[in-house]
Amino acid sequence: MDAADRPAVVIDNGTGYTKIGFAGNVEPCFIIPTVVAVNESFSKDSRGSGKGNWLAQHNAGVMADLDFFIGDEALTRCRSSSVYNLSYPIQHGQVDNWDSMERFWQQCIFNYLRCEPEDHYFLLTESPLTPPENREYTGEIMFETFNVPGLYIGVQPVLALAAGYTTSKCEMTGVVVDVGHGATHIVPVAEGYVIGGSIKSFPIAGRDVTLFIQQLLQERGEHMPPEESFEVARRVKEMFCYTSSDILKEYGKHDREPSKYIKHWTGIKPKTGAPYNCDVGYERFLGPEIFFNPEIYSSDFNTPLPTVVDSCIQSSAIDTRRALYKNIVLSGGTTMIKDFHKRLQRDVKKIVDARTDASDARHGGDVKSKPVEVNVVSHPIQSFAVWFGGSVLACTPEFYSACHTKAEYEEYGGSICRANPVFKGMY
Amino acid sequence: MILLPSPSRFLLQILQSRLQNPEKAVELDCHSVEFDDVRYHIQFSVKNPQSMLLSVSLPTPPPEIVFFSGLPFGAIEAIKGAYGVLVQILDPPKDGYNLTMKLNLSKLPPDEEQRHALLVKIASVREVVLGAPIRIILKHLASRKVAPDLDRLVALVHRPNESFFLVPQAEKVTIVYPMRFKDSVDVVLATSFLQEFVEARRTAGLNNAPPCQWSSSPPMDLREAPPHSVTANAGFVTFVIFPRHVEGRKLDRVVWSLLTFHAYVSYHVKCSEGFMHTRMRRRVESLIQVLDRAKPEVEKPKKSSPRRSFKRLSLKDARANSNS
Ligand SMILES: Nc1ncnc2c1ncn2[C@@H]1O[C@H](COP(=O)(O)OP(=O)(O)OP(=O)(O)O)[C@@H](O)[C@H]1O
Ligand SMILES: [Mg+2]
Repeated sequence: MDAADRPAVVIDNGTGYTKIGFAGNVEPCFIIPTVVAVNESFSKDSRGSGKGNWLAQHNAGVMADLDFFIGDEALTRCRSSSVYNLSYPIQHGQVDNWDSMERFWQQCIFNYLRCEPEDHYFLLTESPLTPPENREYTGEIMFETFNVPGLYIGVQPVLALAAGYTTSKCEMTGVVVDVGHGATHIVPVAEGYVIGGSIKSFPIAGRDVTLFIQQLLQERGEHMPPEESFEVARRVKEMFCYTSSDILKEYGKHDREPSKYIKHWTGIKPKTGAPYNCDVGYERFLGPEIFFNPEIYSSDFNTPLPTVVDSCIQSSAIDTRRALYKNIVLSGGTTMIKDFHKRLQRDVKKIVDARTDASDARHGGDVKSKPVEVNVVSHPIQSFAVWFGGSVLACTPEFYSACHTKAEYEEYGGSICRANPVFKGMY
Repeated sequence: MILLPSPSRFLLQILQSRLQNPEKAVELDCHSVEFDDVRYHIQFSVKNPQSMLLSVSLPTPPPEIVFFSGLPFGAIEAIKGAYGVLVQILDPPKDGYNLTMKLNLSKLPPDEEQRHALLVKIASVREVVLGAPIRIILKHLASRKVAPDLDRLVALVHRPNESFFLVPQAEKVTIVYPMRFKDSVDVVLATSFLQEFVEARRTAGLNNAPPCQWSSSPPMDLREAPPHSVTANAGFVTFVIFPRHVEGRKLDRVVWSLLTFHAYVSYHVKCSEGFMHTRMRRRVESLIQVLDRAKPEVEKPKKSSPRRSFKRLSLKDARANSNS
């Protein structure tokens, strides 16, 4: 049987979470934190004392190079034993530690999917603006270590756009607002091609929301074990946060009816096992507010996300702008915050309308220009839209011809991975 | 992870999440492929949320192996034995699969521990089905008998179109694996891995482990095997299993390890390749440092965070970053 007859493996490596699964499925098989717990005592020693050290470890019954864990297991191991250190191989959407990344992939393939990498084509994803060297590194690891027969590296927002493929008529023109854990990108795509010059980054993502909530909770004097506080803040964020339409009004609502708005979090102290409580109040809407009023979080950045989305569209070719406003697609876990899409749509619409009104006024106010349709598209799978788009595309017959093959790699080397053709399936 | 575990993580996760959130009884239709071309297809309907339709497809058997109604011998009995009242085997199975079972999850035992054990057993369906013949043979070995109705040399499928061989006797069972790899680098690594493996068996602590041998040509035991099945580019591995190795609860682990020996070697070959790459990257890194030191002093470019530019990633600051 040929590898092309088996479903391709689709892996979307994110800063926060990695989504792993097979093409053709609607959901990834696994969504696990992108983290590796490594036994540092080993990698430090191994630099100097070659063989003797290996023997010592062998005799101690440890296969030291396999002494590591990924995902949730990594987090629990690290909590219960001081031998392990956590390494986050991806920072701000870019692979940053290739040793950890390779180990992470190894376990994704053999321990989670349990598949033989030689038997499947692979579709991996990368953040926009990834330097071509990284792509070459990825290719090297995939072809050399894992012997994959074919590899395609998709750009995350393009895949997110392709996620709409089955639900409606496939629209490959739109702006993707991908708000993940470590990076936010606003990427205009026209007919499947990224409009490279117009990509905008936004320095705030899910991790920042968590950090902000953690800080607010701490400042308010809520008691929780410090080593747990980031994790608690994340859970609180995912369970209770929502986007308000106006913070002043929201403060008012909370103050009038605290019992209705204040939520409670109950946890257990890891050391003593004693339960603890904390209240969650203003954090619920202040956390997500940093996308719309960044100055409350950061002193050196104050352009709101809707303004960045608008300027992104304004910087692309004039004849695509209307189509882009009409299809603003959300992707990434952080866009799951309640009512995020409503607020974004309202604020972008405000900016656009103000601009139209101003230009109408400049022209004397006799002719009214046709109002611009602003449409923020939200769908239930948006938290793993990138993965889903990959899953859909990797099922099309064109996928296999767009892949770089092992034979090509052996002929030309890693540089073939620098460019990844946009293929027919994307229209 | 040193050994491949028997239960499929994916199946177990689906089962557990079904039972934990019965209110989320959504429709589910998904598939997954494991090493050696074992495929699963899982279906849940909204109408009948407690009933799981699980189809399994096995590697295509080579010509010397006969399946009985699509399954290895003893598999049906093994399934019934393992899942009892839970299971109903559908005949014929879904198109393209060797086995389709309907599992009634409402009949799981109420006791937490027993229930978990049974879920793990369902997730280990591969071991139950493909391992059925070895289990029969080894069970007889435990009571020092030879299973009836067997040839002198038994071939069992473990990979698509490939088999491994057992010579069942009353006092011992000899097992031979022809080892084949596609990639030429893998062949070299696997060969040396296997030689080390045999070597390691000789160390003092492992006196009680099954004896094992590696040879580049087919061992005598395979005299009667069909010629196409005794070609191997990474040699032949032979284990001898004695009754003491399969006593009581050891049996399960032995069945699984024997069934997946090839996958185990293949996994470790890939791991060593990864390990070597790590070493190679470090080496390159240290050589680059030497070169850097030789350069005349120029102003160091500021490291711009968060985005690193087109400069080649250097391992040292990659590691520094990840600790920050
Ligand atoms: N329901 C939710 N409400 C709010 N935030 C959520 C929700 N679900 C997930 N998140 C957050 O989304 C982030 C993860 O999103 P995602 O998996 O898209 O990021 P990623 O792909 O790992 O990162 P990136 O794309 O930036 O590299 C986390 O910060 C997580 O806390
Ligand atoms: Mg992402």
